[in-house]
Amino acid sequence: MITVAAISLNVAVLIASYGLMDGMVKHLISNVTNMVTGEVQIHAPRYLVDHSMYKVVKNPTGIMERLGSRSIYGVARSYGYGLVACGNKSAGALFWGVDPAMEKKYFDLAEHVATGRYLGSVPRKEIVVGRKLARSLNVKIGSEVVLVVQAADGSLGNDLFTVRGILKAAGDRIDRDAAIMHCQDFEELFVSGGRIHEIALNTRGAVSLAALEQLAAAAAPGTDVKSWRQLMPALSDMVNFFDAGMWLFGMIFFLAAALGVMNTMLMSTFERIREFGILKAIGTSPWRILGDVAAESFALSLVSTVIGGIIGIGLSLFFMHKGLDTSIFIPGDAAVSVSGIAFDPVWRATISLKTILSPILMMWFISLIASLYPAAIAARLDPVKAMARV
Amino acid sequence: MIIRLAWRSLWRNKRRTLITVCSIALGLTFAIFFIALAEGAYEQMIEQMVRIQSGHITLEHSEYREAPSVDLWITVPSRLRSHVEKWPAVEETKLVILGQGIVKSGAGNMAAAIMGVEPAVEKTSSPVARNIIKGKYIEPKDNPQVVVGSEMAERLNLAVGKKLVIATNDISGTLVEELCRVKGIFRTGSEEVDAYVIQMPINFARRLFHLPRGGATQMGVILKDPGDQKQVMKRIKGRLDDRPISVLSWQEVMPDVATYIKMDKGSNLIFQGILIFLILFTIFNTLSMSVLERQREFAMLLAVGTTARRLKLQVFTETVYLGLIGCGVGILFGGLAVVYGHFYGINLSAIMGESVNISGFALSSKMYTKLSFGIFFNSAVAVLAATLLLGLVPMRRAARINIVDTLR
Amino acid sequence: MQLNIGSSIKRIVLLWLLLFFMVPVSPCPAKQTLNARKILDRVDDLFRGKSSKGIMTMKIVTVHWTRTLKVEWWSEGKDKSLMRILAPKKEKGTATLRVGNDIWNYLPKVNRIIKLPSSMMSASWMGSHFTNDDLVKESRMAEDYTFELTFRGKRDKGEILEVTCLPKPDAPVVWGKVLVVVRSGDYLPLKILYYDEEMKLVRTMYFSDIGPLGNRTLPRIMRIVPEDKPHEMTEITYEKMTFDLALPARTFSIRSLRR
Repeated sequence: MITVAAISLNVAVLIASYGLMDGMVKHLISNVTNMVTGEVQIHAPRYLVDHSMYKVVKNPTGIMERLGSRSIYGVARSYGYGLVACGNKSAGALFWGVDPAMEKKYFDLAEHVATGRYLGSVPRKEIVVGRKLARSLNVKIGSEVVLVVQAADGSLGNDLFTVRGILKAAGDRIDRDAAIMHCQDFEELFVSGGRIHEIALNTRGAVSLAALEQLAAAAAPGTDVKSWRQLMPALSDMVNFFDAGMWLFGMIFFLAAALGVMNTMLMSTFERIREFGILKAIGTSPWRILGDVAAESFALSLVSTVIGGIIGIGLSLFFMHKGLDTSIFIPGDAAVSVSGIAFDPVWRATISLKTILSPILMMWFISLIASLYPAAIAARLDPVKAMARV
Repeated sequence: MIIRLAWRSLWRNKRRTLITVCSIALGLTFAIFFIALAEGAYEQMIEQMVRIQSGHITLEHSEYREAPSVDLWITVPSRLRSHVEKWPAVEETKLVILGQGIVKSGAGNMAAAIMGVEPAVEKTSSPVARNIIKGKYIEPKDNPQVVVGSEMAERLNLAVGKKLVIATNDISGTLVEELCRVKGIFRTGSEEVDAYVIQMPINFARRLFHLPRGGATQMGVILKDPGDQKQVMKRIKGRLDDRPISVLSWQEVMPDVATYIKMDKGSNLIFQGILIFLILFTIFNTLSMSVLERQREFAMLLAVGTTARRLKLQVFTETVYLGLIGCGVGILFGGLAVVYGHFYGINLSAIMGESVNISGFALSSKMYTKLSFGIFFNSAVAVLAATLLLGLVPMRRAARINIVDTLR
Repeated sequence: MQLNIGSSIKRIVLLWLLLFFMVPVSPCPAKQTLNARKILDRVDDLFRGKSSKGIMTMKIVTVHWTRTLKVEWWSEGKDKSLMRILAPKKEKGTATLRVGNDIWNYLPKVNRIIKLPSSMMSASWMGSHFTNDDLVKESRMAEDYTFELTFRGKRDKGEILEVTCLPKPDAPVVWGKVLVVVRSGDYLPLKILYYDEEMKLVRTMYFSDIGPLGNRTLPRIMRIVPEDKPHEMTEITYEKMTFDLALPARTFSIRSLRR
C-alpha cells in the first residue's frame, strides 16, 4: 500500500505544482491585461498612429451590443489631449472620458487609487490623475485645476475641475499624463458629440485570445482590432520569458516525480522476485508471469494515479480559490508595479486539462514501465536464484 | 565491525542499494539545478536592468530623486572617478546627463527625454545601442549627432543624416536651441523609449545644457560582483566629504524592481519547498521500502542473537553510507549540470524566440545558472541531514520486527 | 499673429536712399548680396516697431472645422506682447500674455490665469497653423541664413525679386531652404516658401492686399498654407495697426490679462 500512497502523492503534487505554475503565467497575463488595457482593443484604422480626435470608432453601441450577446464585455473610452493647470504649474495631459461604472466592473484601475477615490457614476467635473502628473502639478485631493483643451469644433474648451483621486504607479505613460474624467464631462469639455476612440474588451481569461480577436473583428468590421500582445509587445515578450522559465521548472518537477514513481514501482516489484521465482518453479511460463505483473501494475498504477489525480485536483482547487499570498515576502505596503504592470501578490493555481491529464497519463505510463522491467528480469531468472533472494 | 557489516550488507544487494543511492543522488541533482537556475535567472535580470539604468550604485544630487531636473547636477572630479574605477570590485563607471526638451523638424515637433551618454560604455549595455536598425550608434566625438527612436523618426519624418532642432532649458533656465543630425535610428520594441528618448554624446549634452566640465546628472558604478555593493557604497561615501551628493543602491533607484524580485523570490521559495518535499518523500519511501524488503533478513539476525541496538546501528550506518554516496554523486551530476548551464546557458529560444524585450531591456533567451559553492554545499548538507533523519524511522521499524511472524 | 516691431526711422530712410541709387541689373555680386540682405531685413522688420497695437481677424480652416477670431493686440520691444480675443462670443476675453520666454493665458469662462509649460511652446496657437513658438521667437533671417538673389524679373502680374536663403550649417532652424519673393521696387513680400531638408515644400506664406496700415504701406493679409494639407490654412487680416506708440508699463503685466 505504500506503493499506492507513494504514486498518488507524486501525482498529486505534480498536478498541484503544474496548476500553480500555469497559474503563475496566467496571473502575470491578467496583471498585464486587467489593469486598463484589456485583452483586445478596437480602434479606428490608423488611430494609434497619431491619436487624432477625429478618428472614431463608428457605431460603438452596436459593436458592444453584438459582443455582449456573446457574453463578451468591455468599455468604451474617449481620448483628447490638453493642458492641466494648478496655480502656477501646468502640464500637458491625455484626458480620458470613461464610464466609471463599466470601468469598475471590467477593469482594475478603479481600485488602484493611492489617495482619494475613483470617479463616481455621477459626472461632477472631477478628475483622477496619474501619480507623476499629480506630483508635477503639486495637487492634492480636492485641489482645483483648470483644464484647457482644443475642442472638436476648434474652439478653446476650458473648465474648472476638482482632483478626486490620484492613482498608484500604473506604468510610465499613465503616471505621466493620465487625467481621467466622466464621459459626460469629457463630452462637454471637448464638444465631442459622444465620440468614442477605443473599445477595450476584458473577459478575464474566460475566452481565448485568438477567439476573442475573431469575435471582435466580426462584431466590428472595418476597424483595427489588436490583442494586448500586439499593443504591448514588450510585455508580451516578458510573459513568454516567464512561460519558458515555468516550462523548465515544470520539466524538473516532472523528473523528480517520475523518479519517485519509478523508484516505488521498481522496488515493490523487485520485492516480489521470490514470489516470481516460486511461480516459475511450479511451472508458470515467463510470459504468464509478465502478463500477470503487467495486469496487476496496470490496475495498481491506474488506481494510484487516479487517486493522486483526485487529490491533485483538490489541491489545485484549493489554491485556485484561496491562492497563495506572496505579499508576506514584501516588506510593508510597497506597491509593486513594474513598467506598467501592477502585481497582485495573491497567486492562484489554474486547472486545465493540461495540468491534470498529462501528469496522470505520464506517471501512469512510467509506473507501468517501471514494473515491467523487474518482471521481465524475474521471468527470465533461474527460479532457484529468484527464491534465494533475500 | 558494524561499519564493515553495514558496508557489506549494502553491497550484497546491489540493485537495492543502487536504486536508493540513485534516488538520493538524482534528488540532490534536481534540487541543485533548480536552485541554481532560479537564482541565475534573477541575477541575470538584475544585471541587465542595472546596466541599462545607472549601475549597481548611483551617485546623484541629493535633491534629484525628489524633483528630477537638469539643474540638479553633480560634478564628479575625474580624480575620484578614475580612482573608483581602479578598485578591484568595480567593473566600470559611467556618467549620464538627463534632461527634457522638444525636438523639432520640418514635419512637426515632439517632447523628448534627452540623454547625454558615454558611447563607449553604453555600447555594451544599453538596449538603445544594441537595437540600432538604421545608421550607427553615436561615437564620443560625434558632436552634434544623435540617435532617435523609430517612433519619433516616423512622426517627425526623420532619416539618417537629416537635421533636427533641440529646444530645451539650460541649467539657468534660459531657452537654448541647437541643431543636430540623426546618426542612427533605434527600435527597442518599447513604444515609450522609441517615441521619447534621444541620445547624444555626453559632451554635446554638456554644451547644450551649459554644464561645466565633468558635470553630469548621475554617475553610475557597475560592479563585477553585486555582493560587494554595500562595501563599495561605504567606500565611495567616505570619499565624498560633505558635498550634496547621494550614493544610492539600485534597490533605492528602482524600488519597484527590487520589490518585484522579492515577491517573485517568495513564490520561488514555495516551488523549491515543493520540490524538496517531493525529493525527500521519495528518499523516505525508498529507505522504508528497503527495510520492508529485508524483514526476513532482519528477523533472522535478531533470531540469532543480534541485539536490537546493534541492528539499529547497522541500519543507521547503512543509511549514512547511502547518504554520503548519494550526495557525492548528486553533487557531481548537479555540479556538471550547473557548470554547463553557467558557461553555455540553457537555450530557450525554441520556446521564447531569439531575444526578449522587457520595456526596453533586451534579455537573451538563454538562462544561466548561478555557479555558487554555497548552493552545492547547502543543498548537499540539507539532503544528507534529511536522509539521516528520515532514515531513523525505518531504522526503528527494523528493530521492532516480530521475529516469529516474519520468519514463518 | 504678431511679429515683433522694433526698427528706426533712420533705417527706413537708408532703405529708400539705397533703392534710389540701385541699378536694376547689377553685375557686381557684392552689391547683389547687399540687396539680398536688405530685402531680408526689410521682411523681418515689416511689422516691427518699438511698439505697436492693432486689431486683426484670423480665419482658420482645417479639414474638420472653420473658425474666425477677432483679436486685439499690443506689443513692445522684442519680447513683450498681449493678445485678447474680441470674437466669437464664446471666447471673448481670452487673453495671452508673453514676457520673455514665459506665456500666460487668461480664461474668462473660469476666470483663471494659467502659465503655460515650456513644452507647450511648440503647440499651435489657438488651433491655428502658427505655433506659440512663432509668436515668441525672434528670427533674424539674415543671421541664420546665407542668401543670394536668384531671380529678378516678371512673374505673374508684376516685377519681383526672389532671394534664396540656405541655413548656415549650425543654425538651429528646421528648414532646408527658404525662398523669399518680394516686389521689386518697395521690397514688400509676396510669398515666403519653406522647404525641408529634402527640398520638399512644407508650407507657404502668402502676403496680399497691400495698402496703408498705421503709417506704413504693408500687405494686410497674411496666409499660411501647409503643403500636405492644401485645403487647410490660417489667414490673418490686419484691420487696424498703430506703430511706435507709448504704452504704459502695466500693459504687459499679469493683472492686465484679466481686464
